[in-house]
Order: sequence, then structure tokens, then C-alpha cells
Amino acid sequence: MKEKSIYEHLKEKGLSRRDFIKLCGTIAGMMGLEFAPPVKALGKMVHPDPTEMVAKALSSQPKLPIVWLEFQDCAGCSEAMSRSSSPLLSKLVLNDLAIEYHETLMASAGYQAEKAKEECLKDYYGRYVLVVEGSPTLAEDGIYCTVAGKSNLDLLREAADGAAAIIATGNCASFGGIPKAKPNPTRACGVGEIIKDKPVVNIPGCPAIPEVTTGTILHFLIMGKLPETDHLKRPLVFYGHTVHDHCLRRPFYEAGKFADNFDGDRARKGYCLYHLGCKGPITYNACASLKWERGLSYPVQSGHPCLGCSEPNFWDGGGFYQGQSAALIPPAAKTSALAAGAGLAAGSTLAGINSAKKNRAKKALASAAENSPTDSTTAAPPEKKEE
Amino acid sequence: MDWTEILRFSRGPLFHFSLIIFIAGMIYRLVRIIFLGWEKDRVKNQGSKWSGVIISYLKGLIILPFIPWVRRTFRNNALTFIAGGLFHLSLFLVLIFGEAHILVWQSLFGVSWAPLPNPIVDWLAAVGIISLIILLINRLTHPVLRLLTKLPVWINWTLVFLPFVTGYIMYHHLWFPYEVIFSLHLIFVCLLLIWIPFSRMSHFLFYFFSRTIHGARAGKRAVSP
Repeated sequence: MKEKSIYEHLKEKGLSRRDFIKLCGTIAGMMGLEFAPPVKALGKMVHPDPTEMVAKALSSQPKLPIVWLEFQDCAGCSEAMSRSSSPLLSKLVLNDLAIEYHETLMASAGYQAEKAKEECLKDYYGRYVLVVEGSPTLAEDGIYCTVAGKSNLDLLREAADGAAAIIATGNCASFGGIPKAKPNPTRACGVGEIIKDKPVVNIPGCPAIPEVTTGTILHFLIMGKLPETDHLKRPLVFYGHTVHDHCLRRPFYEAGKFADNFDGDRARKGYCLYHLGCKGPITYNACASLKWERGLSYPVQSGHPCLGCSEPNFWDGGGFYQGQSAALIPPAAKTSALAAGAGLAAGSTLAGINSAKKNRAKKALASAAENSPTDSTTAAPPEKKEE
Repeated sequence: MDWTEILRFSRGPLFHFSLIIFIAGMIYRLVRIIFLGWEKDRVKNQGSKWSGVIISYLKGLIILPFIPWVRRTFRNNALTFIAGGLFHLSLFLVLIFGEAHILVWQSLFGVSWAPLPNPIVDWLAAVGIISLIILLINRLTHPVLRLLTKLPVWINWTLVFLPFVTGYIMYHHLWFPYEVIFSLHLIFVCLLLIWIPFSRMSHFLFYFFSRTIHGARAGKRAVSP
């Protein structure tokens, strides 16, 4: 039996054609599809409307099976997804695009849940999208994070084997995140460091912006491939600009107006938070443009400096409230004193050697003068010749 | 290549290392100079060394920079004087009163102060860069200067110019991603920090020692030198 398409599925649930097209428009907009890729039809290059393309894909494609695994994480990315700014979209992804296995959100537990996963991995082999939340751990073959008696490394490899694509959501799954922070006892790392033979896309953030995760999943569903990425495998559509680039406090930065504390007059006026440790200029994320909670706000807007949570190792990148130009390891008084001592020792030693040399030369000259008293000019003051 | 990591490296270990070399090097140079020997007062000093020092500083920091006509350098080569003066002024103000630099001082010494408005710092930096270029052209075209200029001087110029120009590009977000140009800026600053103690650039500190010594000598009134 042919599988039902997503549109058919939605129609059964009572979605009208008009609402469906609206939804397609929203999806196209959220994916950042300004233009759909041109298609050759009847010997001409046709530029289809992005909405139309999304609608075609949703009416022809069956549901996209998603296996969502959690390793060392706080489930914050799932939380963010389930309370995302666009309930329609998260509902769409969670209910209608089908998540076949999600440890936190599924109703079943124990053997039932494991069986559901096994069946899913078998039935949709080579077709499903694996979403990983939380960092895998390498230490001791992954025993620091086990589910149903299996180590996370085995679980990840098993699920990745039949995945069409892998989406690492959140900083933990992308780069190791907080579990990877020093001293990293579990040797946490990003998914991309373990799985090399499958296409992996990273959606870093703490948590990842839900629209970005859903947008990437939808991109795979509609285009049939993962979006174009940067050198850290982040989708360029969402991670192409820094938070600073689109920041609403940017004019204050340009004007050199900075808040110097969180409770002052300058902070209340909404001045730039650079002085308070904002990492916006080096952080690539869509916070400033997509924002959170239906475009309500994002950290910098609500008065907190950007932590740089979409960058690798952000947890070890210096204090959150320390300016980003500040020295990460300022030399301690002891180190400086040691350096100064080393300089002093080297200088004094060389000066001592010089002085000894000078004294020897003086003596030699004096004895030479004694031996030949007639030639007194050679014993002229020798000091000035040194150095 | 992940520039965020390079940036973290240059902000952390590299800067730390360069500062240590800088401190050790400066102390080394200072010790070497001190051990060259002090002049002894063989005859009773009739004048005041302190007044000599004060006059020396007034001349060096107030009269010569701002009333330059008393100086032959200015009368003979006004370009060197003006460009050189503007460069030093710009370097000092940008380094001490730029917002980003204040954060560096704060992380090193724990104190901070009010910054100059960014647009002013921006203009000052532009003035510094232009002055440096003018000084370079002057050095390249002046026959006597060319004879006097050896490799260390070219290195001096390059290592001062690169942090200046990368800082300017970074502030304006031109051409490069921010973290790339930020890393380059820091790497050049670190190279400069390592280079300073072993070159004439050490005059940023030794200038004050030599002004003091020369002032004291000028204030001395005695029969024999």
C-alpha cells in the first residue's frame, strides 16, 4: 500500500487547502527560501514559487521518520522545541512529520519503547533522519551514558548506520558543549567526530533555536538533502551572520555608547553590552534575526550579553561577563615576578661577565704599562672604551 | 581552519606567553643599561638635579610637542615632526582610551576608566595609520634616511603598522570575518610585544629613564663634569 502523503494526512485531520498553502508559505519563509532552485520545463528555465515548491513536496512526500536520541544533555533542546515560538510548526514536526522515537517525549517506556525503536530502525532503514541531542562520550567505551543497557557509542553507531542524514541539535551534540567543558571527565565530543561516513549537520545553540532545528528538518524533507553549511557544518541560512551583525543594540556600538553595569542608567537606555562581556561579534547564530518566542525577544534584547553558545567550547572561552577582548589568561603576579626575575638574572649575569672582562682588560693594561713605563699613553683611561 | 579556536589561542596562551617574554625582556634590558655604570659626583653639585629633571620633562612632554618651532627637527623637516607627533598621540589615545583596549587593561590590572567615544577613537586610529604611511614614504624617498635605515627599522614599522591596520579593519567589519581579523590583530600584537624589548621600540619606557638621567645631568652645576 502506498504511504499517505503529508498533505493527505493533514487533510484527514481537517486542515483546509487554504490553511495548507498558508502553512507552506510559512515554512518556505522560515527556511529562508527566497528563491526556489530553477527547474527546466518545456525547454525553458522556470523559477518556481517557493511556496508552490513546498506545497508540492508536502503533497507528494510521505511522512519523514525521525529518530531522536538523547545522550549527555539537559533535554533543553527538546524543551525548546516543544515550547517553540511557532506551535503550529513544532506540532507539525512532532505529530505530523512523525517522530518515530523520542526518548523524552514518547508515552511508552522500557521494553515497549526499545521495541518501537528497533522496528523503526528496521522499517525505515536508509530513510530516516537521526536527530542527536546531547554529547556522546568516548571515555571507557561510552559507559558514562547508557540507555537500556547499551552504551551511547553503540546506540549512536547503530542508529547512524541506517540514517539518511544526521542532525546534531544543540551545542552538546554539535561540539561537545557543557559536558566537554574542562576537565571533560567523560571525553564528550561532537557527533561529527564519531560519525564520519554520513552527512552530519550541526545546529549549535544552548538550546538550539527550535525554528532552526525544524527548518533544517523541513529543508531535508522538501529538498531531499541537507542545507549548505559553513566550515563547522552549520546551515549557512541560519548561521551565516553573527549576532552582532543584526543586533538591535548595534547603533549604540557604532556610536560608542556602552552599558557599564546591569543596573545603571546606561543599561536602562539599552546601550551596547560589549563592555559587559557580549560575545555577539564572534558568534554565528540567528538569534538576532529569528528571535525567540514568536519573535518576542532574544538575550541581548532583554539585557543580557551574548554567551556565544553556538560556538565550539563556549563554556571555556573566558568569563561570560568578561569583555571579549580581555586576556584569557592574564599572567598572575607570581608568573610576572618569575619573568622579571629571569630577566634580572640574565641581565645581571651578562653584566657580571662584562664587568669581569673589563677588569681583566684593565689589569692587563696596567701590567703592560708597568712593564714598559716609557709608553705611558697606552695606559690612558680604559673605561670609556668599554661598551 | 577554525578561527574561533585560533582566536582563543591568541587571546589565551599566546598573549600570556608574549607578556612574559615582554616583562622578562624589558627587565633584562633595564638591568643591562643600569649596569653600564653610573656617573659619580666627584665634585659638589651646586645646582638642583630635580629642577633639571622637571625642566627636562616639561620640555619633552609639553614644549617640544606643542610648541615645535624651538626645535630644529621641525624647522628642517616639518613632515617627520607632524606625522611622527600625530602617530604617537594617536597610538597613546587609542591604546589607553579605546573601549576594547580598556577591557584588556581591566583584565590585566583590574581597573577600568571611561572610554573615549568610539567615533573619536576611530578617527584617531585613521590618523595614526595615515601618519605611519606618510612616515614610510618619507623613509623610502629620503636619501639620508634610506642610508640610515636597516632591517630592524623596517621590522619596527611593520609590527606597529599591522596591529593598527588590523584593528581598524576589525572595528569596521571590513572584508574579513570578525574572528579572523581579531585573531590576526592579536597575533601581530603578540609579535610586537615580543619584539619590543629587543628593539628600539623599548623607547616607550626607556624614553622616561633617559629624560630623567639627562635632566639630572643638565641640572647639575659643578666645576668638573
